[in-house]
Amino acid sequence: MAQIEIRDLTIEYRKPNSDEPFVAVDRVSLDIAKGEFVTIVGSSGCGKSTLLLAAAGLVNSASGSITINGKEVSDPGPDRAMVFQEASLLPWRSVLGNVRFGLEMQRWKKDDPTERARRFIRMVGLGAFSDYHPHQLSGGMRQRVNIARALAVDPHVLLMDEPFGALDAQTREVMGDELLKIWERDRKTALFVTHDIDEAVFLGDRVVVMGRDPGHIREIIDIDLPRPRTAAMLDSDQFAAYRRRLREGLGEDMAAMHMITEAA
Amino acid sequence: MMTELYRRHEALVLGTLSLLTIGILWQAVVSAGLINPFFISTPGAVFKEMGVQFADGTLVENILASLHSFVLALALAAGVGIGLGVLAGWFPDAEAALEPFIWFKYSAPTIAFYPLFVAWLGYGTPTIVAIAFLFALTPIYANTLSGIKNVDRDLVRAAHSFGARPLDIFLRVALPGSVPIVVAGLRLGVGRALTGVVVAELFGASAGLGYSIAYHAQLLQTTKMMVSILVIILLGVVLTQMLSWLEKKTDSWRVP
Amino acid sequence: MAMATSKSTAMEGRAWNARFPLSRSTTISCLSVLLFFVVWQVAPELGLVNGRFTSQPTKVAAAALEVFASDDFFYHARISLTEFVLGFALALVVSVPLGALLGTSKHARYILDPPLMALYIAPTLVLLPIMVIWLGIGMASKVAVVFLGVIFPIIVNTMAGMREADPRLIRAARSFGASRLDIFTRILVPGSLPSILMGVRLAVGRGVLGVVVGELYVSQVGVGHQLMTYGSSMRIDRLLVYALVISVFGYTLTSLVRLLESRVRNWRTE
Ligand SMILES: Nc1ncnc2c1ncn2[C@@H]1O[C@H](COP(=O)(O)OP(=O)(O)OP(=O)(O)O)[C@@H](O)[C@H]1O
Ligand SMILES: [Mg+2]
Repeated sequence: MAQIEIRDLTIEYRKPNSDEPFVAVDRVSLDIAKGEFVTIVGSSGCGKSTLLLAAAGLVNSASGSITINGKEVSDPGPDRAMVFQEASLLPWRSVLGNVRFGLEMQRWKKDDPTERARRFIRMVGLGAFSDYHPHQLSGGMRQRVNIARALAVDPHVLLMDEPFGALDAQTREVMGDELLKIWERDRKTALFVTHDIDEAVFLGDRVVVMGRDPGHIREIIDIDLPRPRTAAMLDSDQFAAYRRRLREGLGEDMAAMHMITEAA
Repeated sequence: MMTELYRRHEALVLGTLSLLTIGILWQAVVSAGLINPFFISTPGAVFKEMGVQFADGTLVENILASLHSFVLALALAAGVGIGLGVLAGWFPDAEAALEPFIWFKYSAPTIAFYPLFVAWLGYGTPTIVAIAFLFALTPIYANTLSGIKNVDRDLVRAAHSFGARPLDIFLRVALPGSVPIVVAGLRLGVGRALTGVVVAELFGASAGLGYSIAYHAQLLQTTKMMVSILVIILLGVVLTQMLSWLEKKTDSWRVP
Repeated sequence: MAMATSKSTAMEGRAWNARFPLSRSTTISCLSVLLFFVVWQVAPELGLVNGRFTSQPTKVAAAALEVFASDDFFYHARISLTEFVLGFALALVVSVPLGALLGTSKHARYILDPPLMALYIAPTLVLLPIMVIWLGIGMASKVAVVFLGVIFPIIVNTMAGMREADPRLIRAARSFGASRLDIFTRILVPGSLPSILMGVRLAVGRGVLGVVVGELYVSQVGVGHQLMTYGSSMRIDRLLVYALVISVFGYTLTSLVRLLESRVRNWRTE
């Protein structure tokens, strides 16, 4: 049995100023095995964030279901942790306070929360910055804090919504590399949303390509690159082939976007 | 060397010079016989009188009397203003219920109800505290309300994802996130509470800086009035500066 | 619950809208005011409070009719209004140019900032008794107090508006050969108008306060004088009529300036 089972999941929002529902995710089904790293790409507005929020239990589904370890998701739970964009750190708490935050929310009892938080801060390489506040850190450092905060609560599943979206290309590559190094230690099941094709291929065991209007899964591509992944693979022919294939898969959307802008 | 020192502290130097100039001009117009000292006194006389009032204890007594009312009023306003602001910020229904009264409070000059308070509470400290309390209440309430209401949605969502309960979000996200804006409200409240105390003391009190002004005004003793007026202005500046300092401290985590 | 997840509130809102024509918050506001009036009306009748001290809504309404019909209401109102308008107009004439000077000249700012800030922060109403000694107990001392109350918020906001003028616009104007005067009249003044109006809006409340305090302190006519008269004779109903009239005046004027402010803002962005 897969660890995450998404079955015919449909999610609706209410359109502004009306009672009409708007379908953001339309009958999506997806199975994810334990220890798998799945990346999701797709053009803006195709429901990637919505899908992830549903897995986190932060939005309700209109129909269909998500089960994790055989339990249906309806609320946030300690079996999942989410890495948000950098804006989600509490600005008045230090790095240590922010990493402790998730543990506090979950009433962590298994070991000392402060010690545990320190351990994860060291793991993401911020040992010397425990007492810094978010505004004193670079964008990349803030994302390390976010990752440490999520990992510290020891979830079964890691949900990441464009965690490196606000970083420059170079930092982004470094962060992806480090994320994988951390992930290799215990290979938690991961669901990772990104706009960046290279990032999707580099990180993922599989890449889910989503399309829009309404949001659905267009195709799923298996990435047969060996692990651990290395920066050298980015220049390989195999990588280039995946890159081309994904670009073609997303290309239809880009053509559609052009038509929209021209019509407007 | 000197010029560089000057350039770095230009604001301070010119500011001090300007205050000194005001003092010198004040003395000069009287010495030159342009204005009768009966009207504006002189800095020298005010300074001397300040020493006299300090020595015989009246100055300290008046300052303490005013500060006593001020502290009571500010504490009440902070308690009620922050309490109601939190309530209204967290529960939209409470905000809706309070809004018409706050709206009225904004537009009504509280002092118009002064005779009513005298009828209820008599002349003296209770009325003074009540007026100053009402003066200070509005900015404290308004700031607390907006601080709690505009809690960062991203932070709330992140907290939810870790399983935070409503009380967690209130205590660990909304409340700490509002501290700087609440302190800013308190800073505005300080100035208004002081105004309330002094104005109410002008009308009826048995001690206090406002009372001292009104008392000496009846006897047309300008020098003695000037002492209290200067002390009040100084008090306003010092108290507000203290809160500004606190505001900067609590605000340090904000992105500069 | 404000902080519940968005999912539940959306549903509640829908159910509410289907059942009631008014929004939930408007309904609650109305109910809360209604409750206040009912309690105010009923409490003295039940002997819970002494009606002599609180009056009642019906009595205040009746007193309002009396006051407007007789009581020289319009005479007192005219006096107070004149004091307010004179003080405000004088303050405008002085404060806008002064604020402009402070906003555009660094040295002027350094020199005048300390005394200005002290007076902006400090309760200028404490100068009332000395104004009375200088100007007497008539209208002049009230005009002076209004002037003193109003002038500092306008100066400070004008100054802030001028300082926030977009340096790119100024540079662009320079590149077309604009003189200092051109820059002042075509860029700085229109650019800081919303800020000036904000100062005026804040000043309205202080001005009204000045008139009332001035008249309460010492006077023979004006709405503040009437307040004092009815306060000391325990005519709470009439006292409340005057207090309400003053509140409505302050509210209306503030709203008008706010309207003008948003007009100017919109017109600028167009
Ligand atoms: N709270 C909401 N209320 C109504 N509609 C929403 C809400 N959140 C998202 N939507 C709509 O749902 C659709 C999917 O949004 P979603 O945020 O999941 O897209 P996304 O794929 O993450 O896009 P991006 O790549 O830009 O982040 C969009 O059309 C969006 O307008
Ligand atoms: Mg998204």
